[in-house]
Amino acid sequence: MSSLLIAGHEFHSRLFTGTGKYASAQAMMDSLAASESELVTLSLRRMDLKNQTDNILLPLQRQGMKLLPNTSGARTAKEAVFAAELAREALETHWVKLEIHPDPRYLMPDGMETLLAAEELIKKGFVVMPYVHADPVLCKRLEEVGCQCVMPLGSPIGSNMGLASRPFLEIIIEQSRVPVIVDAGIGAPSDAALAMEIGADAVLVNTAMAVAKQPAQMGKAFKLAVEAGRMAYESGLGEKRLQANATSPLTDFIGALS
Amino acid sequence: MKIVLNEEPYEFVGNTLEDLLLELEKSQQGIAIAINQQVVPKSLWRTTKLNEQSQVFIFESIAGG
Repeated sequence: MSSLLIAGHEFHSRLFTGTGKYASAQAMMDSLAASESELVTLSLRRMDLKNQTDNILLPLQRQGMKLLPNTSGARTAKEAVFAAELAREALETHWVKLEIHPDPRYLMPDGMETLLAAEELIKKGFVVMPYVHADPVLCKRLEEVGCQCVMPLGSPIGSNMGLASRPFLEIIIEQSRVPVIVDAGIGAPSDAALAMEIGADAVLVNTAMAVAKQPAQMGKAFKLAVEAGRMAYESGLGEKRLQANATSPLTDFIGALS
Repeated sequence: MKIVLNEEPYEFVGNTLEDLLLELEKSQQGIAIAINQQVVPKSLWRTTKLNEQSQVFIFESIAGG
């Protein structure tokens, strides 16, 4: 299985993971370890001055994870650029998952603000990984302004609805000259495998691993699915057809009984 | 010194960002600071002076997807 290059960084795992929604830091670390993921997303928020929060940063760094801060909470390009600049200081990385969703119900990404923010962040030297709708035109525009990959959604964040956007993901994958990472909505390992089989370069999974009764085992299930899907893609899948095509030679020895 | 910290009035002893962080007893790992909506690079925290009523925001990294 080939490795994945994004902005000169080599990933051996094509499973990217989120850190939200885990019941505990330990459950998260166990799940991430089993998944063998090498990149995790994090968020920023205003510091809680009254309570000490669980420090998840240290164990992630100790594990050698690449940290990808997101701009979650930003509703405009201006807010997203500010969030990215804060994240660069907080996590000492110029990589950012650009996400702008003004609507809290469906969390649909705002494509226009995302394109504006991407252009500005790239000028400022960021490696921009934009979370967008599965919109082939927008993905092309993002590639043209210098995004190092695109992250179209499979279905709404946390919905577990899988690749509802499949036909459009296939167009994006066919057209893209930068890696395509299917993000959001991947609810089962089979969704992840399917994304890889149709040629996605990686997937990003969070909810499905974090809310599983056994997050560590689910982490491993996703690892295996992503590897299986990628291997199948690289091996070359057969064409679908209506008519049967025998796998055994059609000899006439049974006919010889009559 | 009286400042506005994460949109709440806050009083502390000292006048630099570092004094503020020492008083808050917060880890400096994984945090970012903005004063009057400008991000302050970590390298400048020691020397950055605050003014009365400075609008200071401190952000921390947390779990997220």
